[in-house]
Formats: sequence, C-alpha cells, structure tokens
Amino acid sequence: MNRLAGFLLAASVGVVLFGPPVYAGWAALIAIVAAWILDPPALRAGLRFGAVLAIVFAASITAAVVAWAAGPLRGIELGGMVLLRLLVLTVATAVLVRSINAETLLRTTRKIGMERLGLVLGLALNSLPRLVEAAADVWTASRIRSDDAVARLRRLPGVGEVLLAHTARIAEEAAAAASLRGHSALTRSGNVLRTPVRVVVVTGPSSSGKTEAVTAVADRLQGADLQVVGFVQPGEFVEGEKVGFRLRDLATGQEAPLASLSERDDGDFGTRFQFSEGGFQLGREALSRTAPKSVVIVDELGPIELRGQGHMPAVRKALAVADLGGAMIVVRRSLVPSLLAELDASDAVVIDVESEGGRSVDVIIDALGARTLVG
Amino acid sequence: MKDVRPWTYAALFGTLWGAIEATLGTAVHLGKLPLRGTIMGLVGLLCLVCLRRLQPRAGVCLLAGVVAIFLKVFTLGGLYPGPIIGIGVQALAMEIALTGTGGRAIGAAIGGFFALATNPLQKLVTMRVVTGSEAVRSYLRLLQESTAAVGLEGLSPTVIVAAIATTTGAVGAAGGLWAWWVAGRVVRRLGKRV
Repeated sequence: MNRLAGFLLAASVGVVLFGPPVYAGWAALIAIVAAWILDPPALRAGLRFGAVLAIVFAASITAAVVAWAAGPLRGIELGGMVLLRLLVLTVATAVLVRSINAETLLRTTRKIGMERLGLVLGLALNSLPRLVEAAADVWTASRIRSDDAVARLRRLPGVGEVLLAHTARIAEEAAAAASLRGHSALTRSGNVLRTPVRVVVVTGPSSSGKTEAVTAVADRLQGADLQVVGFVQPGEFVEGEKVGFRLRDLATGQEAPLASLSERDDGDFGTRFQFSEGGFQLGREALSRTAPKSVVIVDELGPIELRGQGHMPAVRKALAVADLGGAMIVVRRSLVPSLLAELDASDAVVIDVESEGGRSVDVIIDALGARTLVG
Repeated sequence: MKDVRPWTYAALFGTLWGAIEATLGTAVHLGKLPLRGTIMGLVGLLCLVCLRRLQPRAGVCLLAGVVAIFLKVFTLGGLYPGPIIGIGVQALAMEIALTGTGGRAIGAAIGGFFALATNPLQKLVTMRVVTGSEAVRSYLRLLQESTAAVGLEGLSPTVIVAAIATTTGAVGAAGGLWAWWVAGRVVRRLGKRV
C-alpha cells in the first residue's frame, strides 16, 4: 500500500509540474491523498496555516502579473497552476523530510559507492541543531549589547563574523569526532599526539570538580615524592558566571592569568575569551620540566589545543619524553572523542568525575598505576 | 584528502548556508521581496569564500553547495527549483573561479560576478518550469514597460535581462571582495595564518 502511495505521490508531482494543466487539479488531489496514506503527521506539518498562506500569496503575485499582461482569466488560470505546483512540492517535501535521517543516508550512499558524501550529509543533519543553537546564542548576545534596531543592524556583520567562527570551531570538533568513529571513508587527521605512556583522560561537565580532583591527585602524588609537572586552570567566577581562567604551575605554585571574558565580540580563537601570552608562557615553562618518571598533568585541553594551537605544542613535547611516570589530561565531555582521535598512546582510560563522585581521586590514582606509591 | 577537515568544514559551512536559505531564504522567496536573489546570493558568497579561505582545497565549495541544496530541499517548498538551481550555480561559479585563480581575492570577485549574474537567467528558467511560458512572457513585458516608463524605450527583453545580469554581477563582484575581507577577519579571529 505504502509503495503504491509513494509511486502515486511521485507521479502526481510529475504531472502537476510537467503535465497538461487540465489534469493538474486531479493530480494535486491524488498527491495529497497519497501523502495522507504515507504519513498523516507529515501532511499536517507540511500544510500548516502559515505555509498555505505563503503559497497563496506567492500564487497571487503571479496571478496579478499575468492578469495585467494577458487578462484576468489567464491570470487566474496561471495563479491556480502555481498554487497547485507549490502545494504538491510542499506536500512531497514534507513526506520526504520525515523519512530521511543520518543513518538511512549513510546506508543509501554506501550502496551507490558514495559513502563520504553520506557521512558529510549525515554530519550536516546532525550538526544542524548545534549550529542553530550557536546562531541563537550569537544573536541573543548581540541583542543584549544593542538596545535599538539601528545599532543591532550595524552590528550584523560582526554577528555574521562570530557565527562563521563558531561554525569553523564546530567543524574542527566534528573532524576529530569523525576520525574517532573510524569511518574508513574519512581518514584521521595528521595532528597526532604521541606518547609511550598510558593516558588518563579526566572529564565531566562544567563545574563538576575536574580541577579539584586533579589538584587533589597532584597533592597525593607530590606527597609520595613523585615528580609532578604541568598545570591546572582554575576558573574565575563573578556571581556564578565564569569570567576567566588562571594557570597554576603544579610544581612551583606560580600563577598567571590565562583568559578573561571579552566585553565585545572579539574573543580569540573564535571563543568568548581573550587569552594572555603570559598564561601560555607559564604553561610552556611548567611542561618544560618534564623528565623521565615524572607525571604530566594538563588541566585542560580545549578546542584551541585540538586545533594544534595554545598549549598543544608544549603538551606534545612533554608527552614524547621517554619513560614517563604517567599522564593525565582534562577535557570537557564533548571533546573526549576529539582528544582520543588525536591521541596515539599505548592505551587510554577515560574517567568521568561526575559518575565517579567522591571516588574520583582514588579512581584516577588507580588508573595512573600509582596506588602502590601513594598508598 | 588525508585530512578530514575539508569534509567537515564543507559540511558545516554548507549546513550554515542551507539553514539560512531554509529560514531567511524561504521567507524572502515566498514573500516575493525585492532583491531576494541578491541578498541570499551575498549570504552564499560569504559562506563559500570563508570556507575556501579556512580550507583552501579544491572541491570544498562544490561540496558545501551539495550540502546546502540537501538541507534546502527539506524545507517548505524545498523542491521548488529556483533556489536549488541558484545554490548549485553559485557553488559551481565560486569553485571554478577560486580554484582557477589559486584561491585569490580576484577569484572571489570573479566568482561573485558569475554567481549573481546568473540570477536573472535562473529566475526565468524557474518561472518557465513553475508557471509556464506565458508567465515568462508577461514578466518580460513587465520589464519592457517598466524600462519604457523611466525613459528607456525600445529596448528588447534580451538587452534588459543582460543589463540586469551585468548589474547584479557587479554587485556580486563587490560582494565577493567583501566576503573575502570578512573571511580574513574570521581567519584572524580563529588565530589562523591568513
């Protein structure tokens, strides 16, 4: 039944678009009935009041122009034709939309030997909500900063610029995630982080205690006379909102500001923050002390590092030191796939501090293989 | 392509373009707003030029166009041929121009010219498919009467369409250079080398 309805829908669209006008009305009716048999909710979604109104408006414009040029009767005839054509196209689209998702796309394109295209289109479908969310955030931020419509309009190019930068950032994250999934069609990136030691990846949502857990682990390791190198990046908060980061060298306790929230839309690396070279410099110094047997702690790596910038060159150098005691990297949850995709380590353990709760510190120490040393 | 980034960048910038076409584009097309093709054309140029500057690989503009068409199809009246042809032609023009000039600003200008100059022709083709040849004749007559009303009498429809194409093409060339400039700012914002 569904197959017949699908065939009737496709045939009706063809008749309305290219067939003789005398059959267009019947064909449109058949298209609507076929769509109702195939997917009633899709038909209802396609023929919303606003959509129908827009179609009627578009057809009316055509009718008016033709009526002016060729007479009222011809105007009405052609306006009606446009109405039917837009109607069947809308109905056909509504039915088509509901039957497509990333998985079916991939299956279909794989069958015809175009897996890469399927992956790209699937990525487009999956990333659409995130992109819409980013656009809404950018627009909201712009509205908050500009009171009147003229000022908002003047800021429009800036808004577009920020949105394009966000899009690039999401593309970077998607690239790493696609590599992680190991799709044979999309190969790994060349930006590989190599280390002979097991890497413990610590993750969790924002403000879930990642930095506190890592600091506690560092204290326990230092208490057992192990050499700990690296840094933590505690956030700075004002009235509960994160306004910046500081970088603290775990070996010396020295601190430097790393990032502060930008007042305008001019954050660095496509973020909301402006970064300070002093913070990066202290990070480089902290990691430069890496020696055999030392435990490297990096809190944290973000999208900037996963693009090979920020702390990444220093981290790569530190992790390449032979005979390390261990390595621990903090990343937010959404970046775990990206980090693992970049990591060419002997193995990696992912620990979520939210799931582990109060046991986080012990679980991390166990994962580092340092239990016998710290007791 | 060894690096996966050109694929994901094309997917994401195509998604952005497609999403804007699907929302703003659908609204301006169905509302029959004036200069709708030019406005949406400039949005497309911005996405394509920015993509090409961030990922200077041949083929990315074309792939982004395919993604944008794919998303555009899944919207109200998505199978309406006009915008689909427009997106395809624009992606093709930018791809050829930017690849041909080695990804230089002049390529953005040339691509912008052809991307928008084809708008009036694409409009006529779409009109022929959706409304039939009589609507096309009516539209051309409307153009002739309008030009005569402003003192340009006796111009043939071909000359008028060619003049409109040249004008929109010039806007497209300027738009291509503007998109190049904005893309440069985005590249710097992301901390990449220009």
